[in-house]
Amino acid sequence: MKKKILNYIKANLATESIDELDIYENLLESGLVDSIGMIQLVLFIETEAQIKVAPEEMIINNFMTVDHILKFIASKQNSEEKQV
Amino acid sequence: MGVQKNTYLPLTKSQSALWAGQRLHPDVPLHNVVYTFAINGPIDKIIFEKSFQKVIDSTDALRTVFSEEQGIPSQHLVDTIDFSLEFIDFTHNSKDEELKDWLHERTLLLINISKQVFDIVLLKTAPNTYVWFLKLHHLVTDAISNVILYNRMNSFYQNEISGTFSIPGNFPSFQDYIQLEQSQKSEEKDIIQQNYWKEKTNNILEKPKLYGEALNNTTAAIRTTLNLGVKRSQQLREIAKRNEFKGWTEDLTLFNIFLTLYFTYIYRVSGQKTLAVGAPAHNRPSRVFQKTVGLFIEVLPLVIEIDEEDTFISLFNRVKIETNTYLRNSGPGSSTTQSNSSFNTILNYIHAEFPDFNEFPTHTAWLHSDHMDSNHDLRTHVYDMNKSGEFKIAFDTNSHTFSQTLAEEMPVHFQNLLDAFLQNYEQPIQKPSLISNTLPAEKQQGTKKTVPSFQSVLKGFHDCKDRKPNSVALHYGNELLTYNLLNKKSNQLAHYLKAKGINENSKVTLHFYRSSDYIVSVLAVLKTGAAFVPIASDQPAERIKYVISNSGSVLLLSQKDLISKVNLPDIGVLDIQKEKSVIEEQPTIDLGIQQQPDSLAYILYTSGSTGKPKGVRISHKSLSNYIFWAKEYYGTNEKSIFPLFTSIGFDLTITTTLLPLISGGRMNIYRETTNGPDVSLLQVIDDNMVNCIKLTPSHLTLFKGKNLKTSYIRTIIVGGEELKVNLSKTVKEAFSSGLRIFNEYGPTEATVGCIVTEYNEAIHIKSTVPIGLPIKNMSAYILDDYNNKVPKGVIGELYLSGIGLSDGYINDPKLTKEKFIENSFADDIRLYRTGDLARINKAGDFEYIGRKDEQVKLRGHRIELAEIENNLTEYPDIENCAVVLIDSNKTVPENEIVNCTKCGLPSNYPKADFDENGVCHLCTAFETYKEKAERYFKNDEQLVALLSSKRNQNASYDCISLLSGGKDSTYVLARLVNMGLKVLAFTMDNGYISEQAKGNVDRIVKKLGVDHVYGKTPHMNEIFVDSLKQHHNVCNGCFKTIYTLSTKIALEKKIPFIVTGLSRGQFFETRLTEELFWDDDLDTTKIDDTILEARKLYHKESDAVKRLLDVSIFEDESVFEKVEFVDFYRFSDVSLEEMLVYLKDKADWRRPTDTGRSTNCLINQVGIYVHKKDMGYSNYSFPYSWDVRLGHKTRDESLEEINEVIDEKEVLRIMDEIGYTPLHPEWDSNSKLVAYFAGNKDIAINDIQNFLAKKIPSYMIPSVFKHVDEIPLTKNGKVDKKGLKAISSAQLAMSTSYTAPRNEIEGLVEKIWAEVLKLNKIGVHDDFISLGGHSLAAIRVTARINEEIEYSFPLNKIFEMPTIAKYSNYIEKTLTSLLEK
Repeated sequence: MKKKILNYIKANLATESIDELDIYENLLESGLVDSIGMIQLVLFIETEAQIKVAPEEMIINNFMTVDHILKFIASKQNSEEKQV
Repeated sequence: MGVQKNTYLPLTKSQSALWAGQRLHPDVPLHNVVYTFAINGPIDKIIFEKSFQKVIDSTDALRTVFSEEQGIPSQHLVDTIDFSLEFIDFTHNSKDEELKDWLHERTLLLINISKQVFDIVLLKTAPNTYVWFLKLHHLVTDAISNVILYNRMNSFYQNEISGTFSIPGNFPSFQDYIQLEQSQKSEEKDIIQQNYWKEKTNNILEKPKLYGEALNNTTAAIRTTLNLGVKRSQQLREIAKRNEFKGWTEDLTLFNIFLTLYFTYIYRVSGQKTLAVGAPAHNRPSRVFQKTVGLFIEVLPLVIEIDEEDTFISLFNRVKIETNTYLRNSGPGSSTTQSNSSFNTILNYIHAEFPDFNEFPTHTAWLHSDHMDSNHDLRTHVYDMNKSGEFKIAFDTNSHTFSQTLAEEMPVHFQNLLDAFLQNYEQPIQKPSLISNTLPAEKQQGTKKTVPSFQSVLKGFHDCKDRKPNSVALHYGNELLTYNLLNKKSNQLAHYLKAKGINENSKVTLHFYRSSDYIVSVLAVLKTGAAFVPIASDQPAERIKYVISNSGSVLLLSQKDLISKVNLPDIGVLDIQKEKSVIEEQPTIDLGIQQQPDSLAYILYTSGSTGKPKGVRISHKSLSNYIFWAKEYYGTNEKSIFPLFTSIGFDLTITTTLLPLISGGRMNIYRETTNGPDVSLLQVIDDNMVNCIKLTPSHLTLFKGKNLKTSYIRTIIVGGEELKVNLSKTVKEAFSSGLRIFNEYGPTEATVGCIVTEYNEAIHIKSTVPIGLPIKNMSAYILDDYNNKVPKGVIGELYLSGIGLSDGYINDPKLTKEKFIENSFADDIRLYRTGDLARINKAGDFEYIGRKDEQVKLRGHRIELAEIENNLTEYPDIENCAVVLIDSNKTVPENEIVNCTKCGLPSNYPKADFDENGVCHLCTAFETYKEKAERYFKNDEQLVALLSSKRNQNASYDCISLLSGGKDSTYVLARLVNMGLKVLAFTMDNGYISEQAKGNVDRIVKKLGVDHVYGKTPHMNEIFVDSLKQHHNVCNGCFKTIYTLSTKIALEKKIPFIVTGLSRGQFFETRLTEELFWDDDLDTTKIDDTILEARKLYHKESDAVKRLLDVSIFEDESVFEKVEFVDFYRFSDVSLEEMLVYLKDKADWRRPTDTGRSTNCLINQVGIYVHKKDMGYSNYSFPYSWDVRLGHKTRDESLEEINEVIDEKEVLRIMDEIGYTPLHPEWDSNSKLVAYFAGNKDIAINDIQNFLAKKIPSYMIPSVFKHVDEIPLTKNGKVDKKGLKAISSAQLAMSTSYTAPRNEIEGLVEKIWAEVLKLNKIGVHDDFISLGGHSLAAIRVTARINEEIEYSFPLNKIFEMPTIAKYSNYIEKTLTSLLEK
């Protein structure tokens, strides 16, 4: 999942082409990804991780870095499992 | 990717939207995107030209051209464009203006997109100063594209200048994007997105009317730019960084903040709460297109529901979420025609910066082409293109919606909200003022405010008297009073009053018919320096007493036939006719008392919302201000003749009472008719003896059908209600030319009229005539809920100030304080709060919108009834209308229902009335005939004797006993057997008898050793459904089936009696009525006869039983003699406890546990459920209250049974099983909008609905439309909304028009029907049976009519003549023929 997300960002979202991206890089502050890009990232994650991101959950704390995103996905998957 | 150059491609969604707009307005520059870059440095024009050629070559969007074939537009690339730079030297033009004009003109120049989509000019404005003029057609660009293009040009130019070798890069093509959008059209993701937008915008029908204006297809627009400055911009950025605001990017956060302010602004200037704002999404789907020039943006709506309680931050939090949803659903090709048409405002947050050109200081300006899409009222752009750190906001305003002034003012309105946000974003969005509260009041009638020089009304009258003493002042019947005589008479009365102690501090109540005595009295009271308190002749004694004591009147002046009705021990009463001779002995000279400006002239009582009338105190200066203004404005003079025909207690009548007398004119007095409606106005028209008239708009509707061409009326002054344009137009056309109609507005509290306009058919084309401008020495303000002044056009509450303002309500300081408020901005200190909603229209006139409390709430929507009415009257065949919200009494919340402390009757039982001890009207009334009612009941011996009386008839049984299996009927059976009677038990198997109840039945008959039969019908379910529809219960249908089937068996088996187990309470539900016990010498056989008559009628009533069962046995009336019904409990009285002991002992009866209730019938609870839903209370409430009243049950037992829990799931299952669809589905609240209309009766309701659907949102479309002959009026000539609200749903459902009673007999019959049927208003053509009238109601109605008329009309007549009109006609004919005999 980590790799998929990093690749997706590098290939599709980054406003400038970059070679290196680590999971702690702040996607937003650096301007690497813009708001439309973030939405695309949300959609990408929804498909890949089979989760649903509510509009209320689209906040910096969940999406600041790839690391945040991975944690968010994990917590979502957990809670969704519990619900089932 | 890669597209053939000559390929014709279709337009993208966004391009199509622009194209469509341009097609509608081909000759205006709707889509010219124009920038100027002022460059401070030397530009080499040759290199500039060369560089731009490179830009063209490397940017396919610039080489795109458009064409149209057979209405279908397409775009294609041309290989090369030979570009030669247009260069203009402006250095010799010293004036900035000339450059500006040139730029403006060039900006507006249309682009011929079939040849070239751009226009480039380089202007030299000074040595080393250049302006690059760049114009592109929007079809090929957007904000980001402009930056890309600029940067590309900049870099080519720099390369050329520095001699760096460069080849145009291979940038991704816009053509590829077009193809991408095309290919995605049918993709699943795309379809989901489109559905999202469809759903989002489905219910957005109404667009906010900014400043009350709606679009009219104009494209003309003005741009006003607001510079927020460094400080505000910094503050905004700082707030955007705070955690509670922070979004993904600072720009997104700032967008959300601006959007929050924008929604707030639109809400505040339109009053609308469901709002959609369009915002462009940049829509560059991947990095590939980040460097492509083209039209990528798509404008998509953000939808917000404003809550009245919203603060900036609470709204922001919802906006943030909405933006996220918006972003995730935006994508290439998302917009649709529907989504585009959902908004009329746009917020464009532009994230684009233009760096310096060739490193020379460069200033970018974005020019507007004076036109924009005619579907938009306002397009707002937030940007900082020069990276100055200061936000600029450009407001493009539609020139129809925004006047030039408003366009200039509106940025301030927005900025005021923004400043309030910066100051405290936790404050309510409604709180900050949009405009400065220190702005001066709106202009007044006439040019200048005149400083008042006081002159009393009496002075005006005396002047006329002095000028023309012998001209006629009053004309009343055969009586003519000259000014001289009128003055003398009033002087005499004044002397008399003075002798009685009346002085400057007194108040004198005047209770008169309209007559010359009244006018004399008014003048006389004023002459003593006292104040008069007029009360019309039709007022009830209680109200007169209240007014006298509340006003502190020391004397009641009246006429003898009126006084006799009022018993007033505590006050001096003076019969002016009786005292005539004494008065005529008084001196005729004036008392010489001067009226003081501040002393009271009169007190007028108006109805108060609390139910008690409130007395408005009007001083002499207020009265004079109005009257003398009116004289001047209406131009009244000695030729003016007014009819006095409206109620003297009505403030509107003050005009007629005094204006002619200070103008030297004449008053024709029309005394009111005492019986039935006052038709004086018709008399006025027929007489044709007046030329000025003051009345209400509703009065005007009575002009319909009258011949007015020969009328002398030239001045009509309308007041009291809003005046419709339709009506004014009709009236004006009906008269010959020269008629002037004045619309006068004013609450009693501001003395008759204080805002006025003259109806002008050329200007007044909206549905309502504006109320105009304040009269002299009066001011009007429109304020919002926070007492801020609102901008022009915006609706708010109307406040008044000035000389005409009352100083308050007499003896009610609390209400006075509430209605008269102090303020800091009016010229006078006090403001009167009218409770009326108003706005100032473009012409500067005040427009009345409606009553503030006429705003109703329906399913969460706030609805202005007047708005519906205004739209409805625009329908061609509707002459007049009134819309009310009927809040049925069923909606009384459960916890507000109280029960009679004696019998348990619930307070929501129709027309239930409780006394101070909480005892209901039924209990109270019963006390008066309780003893007589006792006489109806008998004992066991009499029962045995009766049932054995026909034994010789050779039958095997004495009687049939109706056995339901319940405790009451089981007890009956057991007792009958115990009495030694031969009994056949009959049980109706309606399909829903519980198993245990059936077990009971079978066991009981066995144990008692009686024969037993079950009755059955395959039509039972249909009968249930019919019963639920007609009676909201199942029992009525079931009972009738039982009576029918058991009677049949009795007839076959020659059994003379059928014994019922009806409880005593049920007697009063089905057989007995109060009226039966009215007779002083009560004869129970007479009651029995009446009941028998009713039983015959009962079997004639049309219902499912009559339709589906064999009822031929009832055709021969002898059946009612052959088979008699006997109610067991008429003979036997037993308490519940006794009964249960007996049952256990003798019959082995067990309480069924499988019905979940004390009943034995499973469908019974369906009836209770439906009754509660439809009517609000249980169908057992009434009979059980009687059981309690008669001592058969205790109140607690009764309430316990009524409150038993209902198994809703089971109820719904059974409803489904029998095929009953509820009248009121769960989601439907019982409130509904009802429109009454007068006009063409045959208008298809569908047409009206479709007509309204185009104008107002669906939740505002009334669900019921009812034709009425005339909109009913109150005594004061206003629409009787209270009465209209009281019309029941059954009446509304009838196809007949509503016609109010037209004569005394109809009025009487209506009153009686309404009492018995528990309705408030009944049309004379409404059908008795459809109103819920049945045989029992027939007994009651007939008994009451017989009592009133003192005659004996037979019971069945009401079914033969089932309308008030027919029955009244029958009464009249009967009475006439009696008289003739």
